[in-house]
Amino acid sequence: MNILEITGLTKKFGNFIAVDNMSLTVREGEIFGFLGANGAGKSTTINMISSLLRPTSGEIRLLDRDLVKNSRFAKMNLGIVPQDLAIYEMMTAYENVEFFAGLYGLRGVELKDRVLEALEFVGLADKAKSKPQNFSGGMKRRLNIACAIAHKPKLIIMDEPTVGIDPQSRNYILASVRKLNASGCTIIYTSHYMEEVEEICSRIAIVDHGKIIAEGTKEQLTATITDVKDIHIELKTQESILLESLTNIPGVRSAQQEENRLHVYSDATVDNLNRILKQLMDSGAEIRAVEEQEPNLETVFLTLTGRNLRDN
Amino acid sequence: MNILSIALKEIKRDFRDRRTLLFMLAFPIVLMLILGLTLSSAFNSGATVSGIKVLVQEVSNAGPLQQGFDAFQKEVKKNGITFVPLQAGMDAKAEVKNNHYTAFASVDKDGISLYSSNRNPIESNIVQGMLTAFTDKYNAVAAVAQHDPAKVQQITADASGASIVQETSIVANRSPGSIDYYALAMSVMIGFWAALPGAKLISGEIKEGTAVRLMAAPVSKAEIFIGKIVGSVVQSMLCVVVVVLFSKYVFKAYWGDHMGLTLGLLLTEVVLATGLGLTLSYIFKGGATMGLINLIIQLASFLGGAYFPIGDDAGKGIMSTLVSLSPIRWVNHAATSLIYGNQSTLAIQVIGVNLAAAAVLIGVSALIMRRREGL
Repeated sequence: MNILEITGLTKKFGNFIAVDNMSLTVREGEIFGFLGANGAGKSTTINMISSLLRPTSGEIRLLDRDLVKNSRFAKMNLGIVPQDLAIYEMMTAYENVEFFAGLYGLRGVELKDRVLEALEFVGLADKAKSKPQNFSGGMKRRLNIACAIAHKPKLIIMDEPTVGIDPQSRNYILASVRKLNASGCTIIYTSHYMEEVEEICSRIAIVDHGKIIAEGTKEQLTATITDVKDIHIELKTQESILLESLTNIPGVRSAQQEENRLHVYSDATVDNLNRILKQLMDSGAEIRAVEEQEPNLETVFLTLTGRNLRDN
Repeated sequence: MNILSIALKEIKRDFRDRRTLLFMLAFPIVLMLILGLTLSSAFNSGATVSGIKVLVQEVSNAGPLQQGFDAFQKEVKKNGITFVPLQAGMDAKAEVKNNHYTAFASVDKDGISLYSSNRNPIESNIVQGMLTAFTDKYNAVAAVAQHDPAKVQQITADASGASIVQETSIVANRSPGSIDYYALAMSVMIGFWAALPGAKLISGEIKEGTAVRLMAAPVSKAEIFIGKIVGSVVQSMLCVVVVVLFSKYVFKAYWGDHMGLTLGLLLTEVVLATGLGLTLSYIFKGGATMGLINLIIQLASFLGGAYFPIGDDAGKGIMSTLVSLSPIRWVNHAATSLIYGNQSTLAIQVIGVNLAAAAVLIGVSALIMRRREGL
């Protein structure tokens, strides 16, 4: 069953079309990855699903009901974890969750139980009486999640929930997302970290210029990429490589360097590996290892949009 | 129920902001104490007047006027005013200039002329007032005598000094001392400070990122709007009440017999200020709003007499207009009239004006908010 159905959704800001006739479906029980560079229309779409923006045209149906006409019903079944923290620094963790859960009609003992449950879920039960101003970035992110789940929504939208936090908190949040999903919650998850999306999402949509340009499972998406090869080259030392010298080689679409590792994306039909290696050696680089990898989501994204997800 | 939750959250959050609390409570109380003690002498309404001596030159052919004037001299002597005849060789004007005498009066058949100096304005005015009263009465008697001399006796029968020298007071039974004045002035001033939290009502939620979560919750914009305004008004009013009670019971400031109406007046000022802050935050963006509101508050405080009393005759033209535009001035005046004159009319009028202005401002904010997609 589809929990969310979007048909012909368009949002215009003056002459600028932020979301352009978008259609997609999210099935009940899945973790749906929503990928797109900044300005691709991802946040505008999420804001329309969250009733923060009104669509210019098109339809959003949540649990088979029109979202605009049944706004209250939709909101009752929706939880949102915004990209920017949405918590009150002057109120304790307990009070934050209690306040937001209270807006969903929870009262008395039920409210108290749900608040404690939510804090327990994100590992902040022992910090219930502390104010977020004394929390680490990761703890604030977890509280941000607790505020969205206490009313037990059927669909949770998580917009970049792991931005700017330490690996330990990130792992905690990813585990929490899986746990939420296992408890029956459907999740729409956006992230700049492709490996996160690959790791937890059952289906993924790639949005660019306000349109869905690809949708499917990770395997389905990577299977569509047959004309690109992803060459990983490890250098002995970390030295700066003139990437332009690599992209000038016929067939090379783009090249990136992360410390002593190079990622070169090239047309699969062009045999240019020797020229790439020669170019590197001529520039004085010492090569430790070379590996041609299977296409991943990064490759898919680059092939479809012409840019890397983090090139914003 | 959501309105109540939002209002309570607003109050709770604001009261935990120690800086705001310190600003809203400690500052006016300290200022009240400092200004009240420093400027106490400026609020003394008493003035001691004694030993008024008037140099007088009487011309022997002044006729009935001279007789009347002699009677007048005897009468006013009972009130401590002495008429000293001008001696030969004395320069009357020089004597007055040198402050040996308050004034110099010359009586002849054409009337009385008075010369006084501005070195003792109160004493000079008293002498002038008494002489004016005397001459008015003399002229009346003279006019009656011309038409019906028999009636003169009837008029002069009660021509005692009491009708010439009548003690009246321009000061009501009770007038504010310095602490009384600043207790009211500071309370009215912090009532207007409600514009500051008012300006942060919506912009604060946007800045904190919580506007998104509020809008995503099953709460209408109207509930958010009303809840936040109610919370902010209650929080600001509680600060005003604390300052009022502190001044009343710790500084023993006088708050009159109409505390309920006085607090009602202050409450409408708080509502007005909250509406003003909210509207300005919708019209102007970012730091400009707070800068503008601070400027308005300082101007309104200054013109409203929060730091020192500004009389009714303060300035003319644009200054006078600016003074009359200060809500702090309206409320201060109305409250003073209520507390010290037991006059509730002005207070009720100001309550009406405050509520009407607040309704317009809050209405404008509501309209802007409604037209926006978010908060």
